[in-house]
Amino acid sequence: MSVELRLAWLLTKDSDRRERWRVLLTALGAGLATGFGLGAVAVAALRGHHNIALASGLLNDQGERSGIVFTLLLLLVPVLGFLGQCARVGAVHRDRRLAGLRLSGATPGQVRRIAGLEAGLACLAGSMAASVCFVPLLLHLWQAPPATVWVAGTLVVLAVPVLGTLVSLLALRRVVAEPLGWVRRVRPRGKRGLGLLFPLVAPAGVLVVGMLVAPRSFGGFYTSPALVLAVVIVTGLSAVRLSGVTSRRIGRHLAERTGDPAVLIAAERLRDDPWAAARTHAAVLLVTVVGTGFMGVRQVLLDTLRLRGPDTLAADISFYTTGIDLTGAALLLALAITLFGLAVGTAESLATRRRGLAAQAAAGVPIAVLARALLLETALPLAPAVALAGLGGMGISTWYALLADTEGTSVLPLVPLLVPVAVYAACILAAATSLPLLRRSVRPAELRYA
Amino acid sequence: MSTPLLTGRRLFKAHGSTPALRGASVELHPGEILAVTGASGSGKSTLLHCLAGIVRPDEGTVEYAGERLDEASEARLGELRRTEFGVVFQFGQLIPELTAVDNVALPLLLAGTPRQAARERAIAWLERFGVRGQEALRPGEMSGGQAQRVSLARALVTGPKVVFADEPTGALDSLSGEQVMTALTHTAREAATAVLLITHDAQVAAYADREVTLRDGVLAAEAAEVAR
Ligand SMILES: Nc1ncnc2c1ncn2[C@@H]1O[C@H](COP(=O)(O)OP(=O)(O)O)[C@@H](O)[C@H]1O
Ligand SMILES: [Mg+2]
Repeated sequence: MSVELRLAWLLTKDSDRRERWRVLLTALGAGLATGFGLGAVAVAALRGHHNIALASGLLNDQGERSGIVFTLLLLLVPVLGFLGQCARVGAVHRDRRLAGLRLSGATPGQVRRIAGLEAGLACLAGSMAASVCFVPLLLHLWQAPPATVWVAGTLVVLAVPVLGTLVSLLALRRVVAEPLGWVRRVRPRGKRGLGLLFPLVAPAGVLVVGMLVAPRSFGGFYTSPALVLAVVIVTGLSAVRLSGVTSRRIGRHLAERTGDPAVLIAAERLRDDPWAAARTHAAVLLVTVVGTGFMGVRQVLLDTLRLRGPDTLAADISFYTTGIDLTGAALLLALAITLFGLAVGTAESLATRRRGLAAQAAAGVPIAVLARALLLETALPLAPAVALAGLGGMGISTWYALLADTEGTSVLPLVPLLVPVAVYAACILAAATSLPLLRRSVRPAELRYA
Repeated sequence: MSTPLLTGRRLFKAHGSTPALRGASVELHPGEILAVTGASGSGKSTLLHCLAGIVRPDEGTVEYAGERLDEASEARLGELRRTEFGVVFQFGQLIPELTAVDNVALPLLLAGTPRQAARERAIAWLERFGVRGQEALRPGEMSGGQAQRVSLARALVTGPKVVFADEPTGALDSLSGEQVMTALTHTAREAATAVLLITHDAQVAAYADREVTLRDGVLAAEAAEVAR
C-alpha cells in the first residue's frame, strides 16, 4: 500500500492541466462534504437553548437544530455522488498514464488503488481547506466549543478523504486499465452484489442517522421525519431501479426498430450499460422526490401559517419562513451539485470516446448526429424516472396536505408539478454543456492515436 | 494513362510549429491501389487526412473528380466522406456499443436507407469479408482481424470511389494482416475502387499497384528532384 501511496502522490504532483482541473473538482467536493459534516457536528453538539445570530434564530432550539443536522447530512448524498463522478473522470483522463503503469508491471487492482488514493489525496487537500475556513467561523460564533466538537470535527476531516478513496474505488471497480492504452469498463455479467449493495447501504445509513437525530415530538408518527425519509428513500430507490430497467428496455426496444442513427447509437449505449445511466441519475431522482415533496409541503405550511394569523404563532413568522427558505436553499444546492455531477459525467463519457468520435466524424458521421445521440442518452432514460420521482414527491406532499387538513389549502398543490419538469429541463441543459467539448473531441488531432 | 481521380498538389501542413507536409504531391487514378510508405512521423497520416478532406492543407490544392476539396465547405466534405469515400484506420472507427451489422449499416442509415434494407446489405458485406455469423458481436467481442474486416465492410458498404486506409493492419498479427489485405485488395479490384493505402510495412505495400515513399513531408522522388 505504501508503494501505491507514493506513486499516487507522485502522479498528483506532476499532473498536467486537465488533471489539475479534476483534482480541483475533487477537492471542491471534499471541501463541501467536510463543510457540511463540520456544520452538522457543531450544530449537533449544542445543548439546550442558545441565542445564535444566524438564520432568524433557527439554531436556537434543539428541535430545529436536529432538522438542520439532518439536512446537512442529506446534502452529503449528492456530494458523494459528485466525488464518484470526479473519480471516473480521472480514470479516463489518465488512461495513457495508467496504461504505462500496467506496462511497467502494475496489476489492475494496484492501478485502481493508485487512482483511488489519488482521489483520497485530493480529498484530503479539500477537507483541510474546508476546516481552515471553518475553524475561524466556529470560534467567532462560539467562544469555547467543547472538546467533543474538536474530536468529532477532526474525525470528519479525516473521514472525508477515506470516504473519498472508498467512493473512488467503488466508482472505478469496473474500470480495467489495459497495458496498451485502453481503459475500458468491464461489463458486469451475472452477479452484481456490490452494485446493488451501495444504493441500499448508503441511504440506510442516512436513515439510521436520521432516526437518531430527528425530533420525535413533532406531529406524531405520520409526520415523523423518519417515516417521510423512508418514503423518500424508497421512492428514490425505486426511481433508480426504474431508471435502470427502463434504460435497458428503451435501449432494446429502440435499438431493434429505429432507423435514426442518433437514436440507434444512444439506444445501444443504454442497452450496453443501463446502470451507468441509473447511477448518474440517482442523485437527480432523489432531489426530484425531495424537491417535489418540499414544494408541496412548503405551500401547505405557508397557507396554514397565514390562516392561523400571527397572534397564534409561537414565534415571529420570519422564523418559520426562514426555516422553509433555508430548506429550499439546501435543495437548490443539492440540485446544483447534482447537475454539476451530471455535466461532469457527460463530459467524461465524451472524453473517453474522443478517439472513436473523431474517427466517426472523419468517416463522415455528422456532428449533429453525434450531438443528438449524446443528448438522447440523458433524455431517454431520465423521462420515466423523473416522472415517477415527481409522482412520489407529489404523494408525500398530498399526504402532508391531507394530514394538515386546513380549509383553504388546495389538497393537490400544482406548483410541485413544475419541479420534475424543471429538473428534467435542467438535466438536458447540463448534458448540453458538453456539446462544445464534442466539437473539440472530433477534431482530427484526436485521430493521431487512432 | 487515365485522368487522376484524386490529386494533391504541393501540399503543406504544419501542426503548430511541426511541419508535417512540405510540398507533397500525389495522384490517385480510378481503381488504382496506391501504397504510401515512409518512416513514422514522415507525414503519411497527415497526407491522407488532407486528401480525404478530413483536414485542410495550409497550402496547396486537393482536387477530387474536378472538385476542389481544399475550398469545399465542411458540410460538403462530410457528405463526400459519407458517400464517395470510405476510411479505415488502425482501430477506432467502429462504434463500440453497436453490433457488427449496425456498424456496417450506419453509413446507409445516415444516407436515409430504411433499417431493414440497410441491415440486409450490411449482412451481405459481412459475408463477403468472411465475418458471417458474427453479426451480433460488438467490437470488443471480436478479434482484431475480425474488427478490421468489419471496418472494411463499413468503409465499402456505400460503394465508395476511394478508400483511405491508414495502417489498416498496424495492430494485427501477420496472418490476420494478410487476411485483411487480401479482403481489401480483392474487393477493391472487383468494384474498381481506388485505395490510398498507408503503411510502413513492405509486405503490406506489396499488395498495391504502385508505391510512393514520403520522407520528411515530401515524396522521396520529389526530394530527389529538388536535390538535383
Ligand atoms: N495533431 C498533431 N499535433 C502536433 N503534431 C502532430 C499532429 N499530428 C501529427 N503531428 C506531427 O506531424 C508529423 C507527421 O505526423 P503524421 O502525419 O502522423 O506521420 P506518420 O503518419 O507518417 O507517422 C510528426 O512529426 C508528428 O509528430
Ligand atoms: Mg500515421
